[in-house]
Amino acid sequence: MEIQDTVYYIIAITMAIIAILFYANIQIKKYDPLDKPKGIVLLLMMGVTTVDKMVNDQTNEIIAENLGPYIGTLTVYLVLSNISGLIGFDPPTANYSVTLTLAMITVFLIEKNAIKFNGLKNYLKGFFKPFAPFFLMNVVGKVAPLISMSMRLFGNILTGGVIMSIVYMFTGLASNLVPIIGQFNFIGLIIAPALHFYFDLFAGLIQTYIFISLTIALIGKELPLK
Amino acid sequence: MELGLIAIGAGLAVMTGALTAIGEGNVFAKAVEAIGKNPEAENKLRSMAIVGAAISETCAIYGLLVSLLIMFVLGGRV
Repeated sequence: MEIQDTVYYIIAITMAIIAILFYANIQIKKYDPLDKPKGIVLLLMMGVTTVDKMVNDQTNEIIAENLGPYIGTLTVYLVLSNISGLIGFDPPTANYSVTLTLAMITVFLIEKNAIKFNGLKNYLKGFFKPFAPFFLMNVVGKVAPLISMSMRLFGNILTGGVIMSIVYMFTGLASNLVPIIGQFNFIGLIIAPALHFYFDLFAGLIQTYIFISLTIALIGKELPLK
Repeated sequence: MELGLIAIGAGLAVMTGALTAIGEGNVFAKAVEAIGKNPEAENKLRSMAIVGAAISETCAIYGLLVSLLIMFVLGGRV
Protein backbone atom coordinates (compact mmCIF):
# COMPACT_ATOMS: atom_id res chain seq x y z
CA MET A 1 0.00 0.00 0.00
CA GLU A 2 1.48 3.32 -1.00
CA ILE A 3 1.18 6.44 1.12
CA GLN A 4 -0.71 9.31 -0.46
CA ASP A 5 1.08 12.64 -0.80
CA THR A 6 -1.69 14.27 1.22
CA VAL A 7 -0.42 12.59 4.37
CA TYR A 8 2.81 14.60 4.25
CA TYR A 9 0.90 17.84 3.72
CA ILE A 10 -1.37 16.99 6.65
CA ILE A 11 1.70 16.41 8.84
CA ALA A 12 3.17 19.74 7.72
CA ILE A 13 -0.06 21.57 8.53
CA THR A 14 -0.33 19.85 11.90
CA MET A 15 3.25 20.96 12.65
CA ALA A 16 2.30 24.53 11.72
CA ILE A 17 -0.71 24.41 14.04
CA ILE A 18 1.44 23.05 16.88
CA ALA A 19 4.00 25.81 16.33
CA ILE A 20 1.28 28.47 16.39
CA LEU A 21 -0.19 26.99 19.57
CA PHE A 22 3.22 26.91 21.28
CA TYR A 23 3.74 30.57 20.44
CA ALA A 24 0.21 31.41 21.60
CA ASN A 25 0.75 29.51 24.83
CA ILE A 26 3.94 31.47 25.62
CA GLN A 27 2.21 34.76 24.85
CA ILE A 28 -0.81 33.90 27.00
CA LYS A 29 1.40 32.96 29.95
CA LYS A 30 3.19 36.29 29.63
CA TYR A 31 -0.11 38.19 29.41
CA ASP A 32 -1.19 40.20 32.43
CA PRO A 33 -5.03 40.17 32.72
CA LEU A 34 -5.07 43.84 33.70
CA ASP A 35 -3.34 44.94 30.47
CA LYS A 36 -4.94 45.62 27.13
CA PRO A 37 -4.61 42.42 25.04
CA LYS A 38 -2.66 42.77 21.81
CA GLY A 39 -1.20 40.62 19.04
CA ILE A 40 -2.05 36.94 19.07
CA VAL A 41 -3.72 37.13 22.49
CA LEU A 42 -6.26 39.62 21.17
CA LEU A 43 -6.85 37.46 18.10
CA LEU A 44 -7.42 34.38 20.23
CA MET A 45 -9.77 36.25 22.57
CA MET A 46 -11.86 37.48 19.65
CA GLY A 47 -11.92 34.02 18.09
CA VAL A 48 -12.96 32.27 21.29
CA THR A 49 -15.67 34.87 21.98
CA THR A 50 -17.08 34.55 18.46
CA VAL A 51 -17.13 30.75 18.51
CA ASP A 52 -18.66 30.65 21.98
CA LYS A 53 -21.38 33.05 20.92
CA MET A 54 -22.14 31.06 17.76
CA VAL A 55 -22.33 27.79 19.68
CA ASN A 56 -24.31 29.18 22.59
CA ASP A 57 -26.91 30.79 20.34
CA GLN A 58 -27.88 27.56 18.64
CA THR A 59 -27.27 24.76 21.15
CA ASN A 60 -27.65 24.38 24.90
CA GLU A 61 -25.06 25.05 27.61
CA ILE A 62 -24.08 21.41 28.17
CA ILE A 63 -23.15 20.81 24.54
CA ALA A 64 -21.68 24.28 24.07
CA GLU A 65 -19.02 23.64 26.69
CA ASN A 66 -17.54 20.76 24.68
CA LEU A 67 -18.55 21.78 21.18
CA GLY A 68 -16.89 25.21 21.33
CA PRO A 69 -13.30 23.90 21.51
CA TYR A 70 -14.00 21.35 18.77
CA ILE A 71 -15.38 24.05 16.47
CA GLY A 72 -12.35 26.24 17.21
CA THR A 73 -9.95 23.42 16.35
CA LEU A 74 -11.89 22.62 13.20
CA THR A 75 -11.79 26.27 12.12
CA VAL A 76 -8.02 26.56 12.52
CA TYR A 77 -7.42 23.27 10.72
CA LEU A 78 -9.79 23.99 7.84
CA VAL A 79 -8.54 27.55 7.32
CA LEU A 80 -4.92 26.44 7.22
CA SER A 81 -5.58 23.49 4.92
CA ASN A 82 -7.88 25.40 2.55
CA ILE A 83 -5.46 28.27 1.99
CA SER A 84 -2.39 25.99 1.87
CA GLY A 85 -2.80 25.89 -1.93
CA LEU A 86 -1.26 29.38 -1.93
CA ILE A 87 2.18 28.05 -0.95
CA GLY A 88 2.13 25.18 -3.39
CA PHE A 89 0.64 22.43 -1.26
CA ASP A 90 -2.04 20.04 -2.43
CA PRO A 91 -4.72 21.16 0.04
CA PRO A 92 -5.56 18.20 2.33
CA THR A 93 -9.24 19.08 1.97
CA ALA A 94 -8.94 18.29 -1.76
CA ASN A 95 -8.67 14.65 -0.68
CA TYR A 96 -12.04 12.97 -0.20
CA SER A 97 -10.84 10.87 2.76
CA VAL A 98 -10.20 14.01 4.81
CA THR A 99 -13.54 15.71 4.16
CA LEU A 100 -15.46 12.45 4.58
CA THR A 101 -13.84 11.95 7.99
CA LEU A 102 -14.75 15.48 9.08
CA ALA A 103 -18.34 15.01 7.89
CA MET A 104 -18.52 11.66 9.72
CA ILE A 105 -17.52 13.40 12.95
CA THR A 106 -20.32 15.92 12.39
CA VAL A 107 -22.95 13.24 11.70
CA PHE A 108 -21.82 11.24 14.73
CA LEU A 109 -22.13 14.36 16.93
CA ILE A 110 -25.61 15.09 15.56
CA GLU A 111 -26.93 11.60 16.30
CA LYS A 112 -25.17 11.27 19.66
CA ASN A 113 -26.53 14.54 20.97
CA ALA A 114 -30.00 13.84 19.57
CA ILE A 115 -30.10 10.53 21.47
CA LYS A 116 -28.59 12.04 24.62
CA PHE A 117 -31.00 14.95 24.94
CA ASN A 118 -34.21 13.49 23.47
CA GLY A 119 -33.92 10.01 24.99
CA LEU A 120 -33.67 6.86 22.92
CA LYS A 121 -37.45 6.37 22.81
CA ASN A 122 -38.19 9.83 21.44
CA TYR A 123 -35.27 9.52 19.04
CA LEU A 124 -36.67 6.32 17.54
CA LYS A 125 -40.15 7.87 17.47
CA GLY A 126 -38.71 10.75 15.45
CA PHE A 127 -38.14 8.37 12.54
CA PHE A 128 -41.92 8.00 12.08
CA LYS A 129 -42.75 11.72 12.12
CA PRO A 130 -44.96 13.19 10.77
CA PHE A 131 -46.49 9.88 9.52
CA ALA A 132 -45.24 6.30 9.55
CA PRO A 133 -44.56 6.15 5.75
CA PHE A 134 -41.97 8.90 6.19
CA PHE A 135 -39.57 6.35 7.74
CA LEU A 136 -37.54 5.92 4.56
CA MET A 137 -37.26 9.67 3.98
CA ASN A 138 -36.08 10.20 7.54
CA VAL A 139 -33.41 7.52 7.18
CA VAL A 140 -32.17 9.15 3.98
CA GLY A 141 -32.25 12.50 5.75
CA LYS A 142 -29.91 11.16 8.42
CA VAL A 143 -27.31 10.12 5.84
CA ALA A 144 -27.68 13.15 3.56
CA PRO A 145 -25.51 15.56 5.62
CA LEU A 146 -22.63 13.09 5.38
CA ILE A 147 -22.61 13.25 1.58
CA SER A 148 -23.57 16.88 1.09
CA MET A 149 -21.13 18.34 3.63
CA SER A 150 -18.15 16.26 2.55
CA MET A 151 -18.85 16.78 -1.16
CA ARG A 152 -19.31 20.54 -0.73
CA LEU A 153 -15.93 21.09 0.88
CA PHE A 154 -14.13 18.55 -1.33
CA GLY A 155 -15.67 19.86 -4.57
CA ASN A 156 -14.96 23.51 -3.85
CA ILE A 157 -11.32 23.03 -2.95
CA LEU A 158 -10.57 20.39 -5.61
CA THR A 159 -12.18 22.32 -8.48
CA GLY A 160 -10.31 25.43 -7.38
CA GLY A 161 -7.04 23.56 -7.70
CA VAL A 162 -7.98 21.98 -11.03
CA ILE A 163 -9.10 25.30 -12.51
CA MET A 164 -5.88 26.96 -11.38
CA SER A 165 -3.77 24.25 -13.03
CA ILE A 166 -5.81 24.61 -16.25
CA VAL A 167 -5.25 28.39 -16.13
CA TYR A 168 -1.50 27.91 -15.75
CA MET A 169 -1.45 25.42 -18.61
CA PHE A 170 -3.41 27.77 -20.87
CA THR A 171 -1.38 30.87 -20.05
CA GLY A 172 1.80 28.86 -20.57
CA LEU A 173 0.64 27.93 -24.07
CA ALA A 174 -0.45 31.50 -24.79
CA SER A 175 2.81 33.06 -23.67
CA ASN A 176 4.74 30.56 -25.78
CA LEU A 177 3.43 32.42 -28.84
CA VAL A 178 5.47 35.49 -27.90
CA PRO A 179 8.94 35.05 -29.45
CA ILE A 180 11.70 35.90 -26.99
CA ILE A 181 10.29 36.12 -23.47
CA GLY A 182 7.76 33.37 -24.23
CA GLN A 183 9.59 30.71 -22.22
CA PHE A 184 8.61 32.56 -19.06
CA ASN A 185 4.88 32.33 -18.28
CA PHE A 186 4.33 36.09 -17.96
CA ILE A 187 0.60 36.07 -18.85
CA GLY A 188 -0.08 33.73 -15.94
CA LEU A 189 1.70 36.19 -13.68
CA ILE A 190 -0.87 38.84 -14.58
CA ILE A 191 -4.03 36.71 -14.54
CA ALA A 192 -3.37 34.19 -11.77
CA PRO A 193 -3.24 36.37 -8.60
CA ALA A 194 -6.89 37.43 -8.85
CA LEU A 195 -7.97 33.84 -9.45
CA HIS A 196 -5.80 32.62 -6.56
CA PHE A 197 -7.47 35.23 -4.39
CA TYR A 198 -10.91 33.91 -5.30
CA PHE A 199 -10.32 30.15 -5.42
CA ASP A 200 -7.87 29.76 -2.55
CA LEU A 201 -8.53 32.59 -0.10
CA PHE A 202 -12.17 33.56 -0.61
CA ALA A 203 -13.63 30.13 -1.38
CA GLY A 204 -11.48 28.51 1.32
CA LEU A 205 -12.57 30.90 4.07
CA ILE A 206 -16.23 30.87 3.01
CA GLN A 207 -16.30 27.07 2.90
CA THR A 208 -14.73 26.92 6.36
CA TYR A 209 -17.41 29.23 7.69
CA ILE A 210 -20.15 27.21 6.00
CA PHE A 211 -18.80 23.92 7.31
CA ILE A 212 -18.64 25.06 10.92
CA SER A 213 -21.94 26.93 10.89
CA LEU A 214 -23.70 23.94 9.30
CA THR A 215 -22.16 21.65 11.93
CA ILE A 216 -23.50 23.87 14.72
CA ALA A 217 -26.89 24.37 13.07
CA LEU A 218 -27.44 20.68 12.36
CA ILE A 219 -26.54 19.72 15.93
CA GLY A 220 -28.81 22.43 17.31
CA LYS A 221 -31.71 21.45 15.05
CA GLU A 222 -32.08 17.99 16.59
CA LEU A 223 -32.19 19.25 20.20
CA PRO A 224 -35.44 19.74 22.13
CA LEU A 225 -36.60 23.36 22.24
CA LYS A 226 -35.24 25.49 25.07
CA MET B 1 -15.98 8.44 -31.28
CA GLU B 2 -15.97 7.40 -27.65
CA LEU B 3 -13.84 10.40 -26.65
CA GLY B 4 -16.38 12.69 -28.31
CA LEU B 5 -19.23 11.18 -26.31
CA ILE B 6 -17.22 11.63 -23.10
CA ALA B 7 -16.68 15.29 -23.96
CA ILE B 8 -20.42 15.75 -24.57
CA GLY B 9 -21.20 14.11 -21.23
CA ALA B 10 -18.77 16.36 -19.40
CA GLY B 11 -20.29 19.39 -21.08
CA LEU B 12 -23.82 18.33 -20.10
CA ALA B 13 -22.78 17.73 -16.49
CA VAL B 14 -21.37 21.21 -16.12
CA MET B 15 -24.67 22.71 -17.31
CA THR B 16 -25.94 22.52 -13.70
CA GLY B 17 -24.31 25.94 -13.48
CA ALA B 18 -27.08 27.49 -15.57
CA LEU B 19 -29.85 27.08 -12.99
CA THR B 20 -27.48 27.74 -10.10
CA ALA B 21 -26.65 31.10 -11.62
CA ILE B 22 -30.35 32.00 -11.56
CA GLY B 23 -30.61 30.94 -7.94
CA GLU B 24 -27.56 32.90 -6.90
CA GLY B 25 -28.84 35.92 -8.76
CA ASN B 26 -32.07 35.63 -6.77
CA VAL B 27 -30.14 35.53 -3.50
CA PHE B 28 -28.30 38.75 -4.23
CA ALA B 29 -31.34 40.47 -5.77
CA LYS B 30 -33.32 39.83 -2.59
CA ALA B 31 -30.37 40.94 -0.46
CA VAL B 32 -30.14 44.24 -2.33
CA GLU B 33 -33.89 44.69 -1.95
CA ALA B 34 -33.69 44.02 1.77
CA ILE B 35 -30.80 46.46 2.23
CA GLY B 36 -32.86 49.05 0.38
CA LYS B 37 -35.66 48.58 2.88
CA ASN B 38 -33.47 48.37 6.02
CA PRO B 39 -30.09 50.00 5.38
CA GLU B 40 -29.06 49.52 9.02
CA ALA B 41 -29.12 45.70 8.66
CA GLU B 42 -26.50 45.76 5.92
CA ASN B 43 -23.69 44.00 7.80
CA LYS B 44 -25.88 41.10 8.88
CA LEU B 45 -27.43 40.74 5.44
CA ARG B 46 -24.11 40.80 3.62
CA SER B 47 -22.68 37.79 5.44
CA MET B 48 -26.00 35.98 5.20
CA ALA B 49 -26.23 36.59 1.45
CA ILE B 50 -22.68 35.36 0.87
CA VAL B 51 -23.35 32.19 2.85
CA GLY B 52 -26.63 31.63 0.99
CA ALA B 53 -24.91 32.10 -2.34
CA ALA B 54 -22.11 29.72 -1.36
CA ILE B 55 -24.60 27.06 -0.30
CA SER B 56 -26.59 27.29 -3.52
CA GLU B 57 -23.31 27.27 -5.42
CA THR B 58 -22.78 23.74 -4.14
CA CYS B 59 -25.07 22.35 -6.85
CA ALA B 60 -22.92 23.87 -9.56
CA ILE B 61 -19.85 22.48 -7.81
CA TYR B 62 -21.37 19.00 -7.86
CA GLY B 63 -21.89 19.32 -11.60
CA LEU B 64 -18.34 20.55 -12.09
CA LEU B 65 -17.03 17.68 -9.97
CA VAL B 66 -18.96 15.12 -12.02
CA SER B 67 -17.70 16.64 -15.25
CA LEU B 68 -14.10 16.57 -13.98
CA LEU B 69 -14.50 12.94 -12.95
CA ILE B 70 -15.92 12.10 -16.37
CA MET B 71 -13.04 13.86 -18.09
CA PHE B 72 -10.17 12.50 -16.05
CA VAL B 73 -11.44 9.05 -15.04
CA LEU B 74 -13.35 8.01 -18.17
CA GLY B 75 -11.20 10.10 -20.50
CA GLY B 76 -8.05 8.51 -19.12
CA ARG B 77 -9.29 5.04 -20.08
CA VAL B 78 -9.79 5.74 -23.77
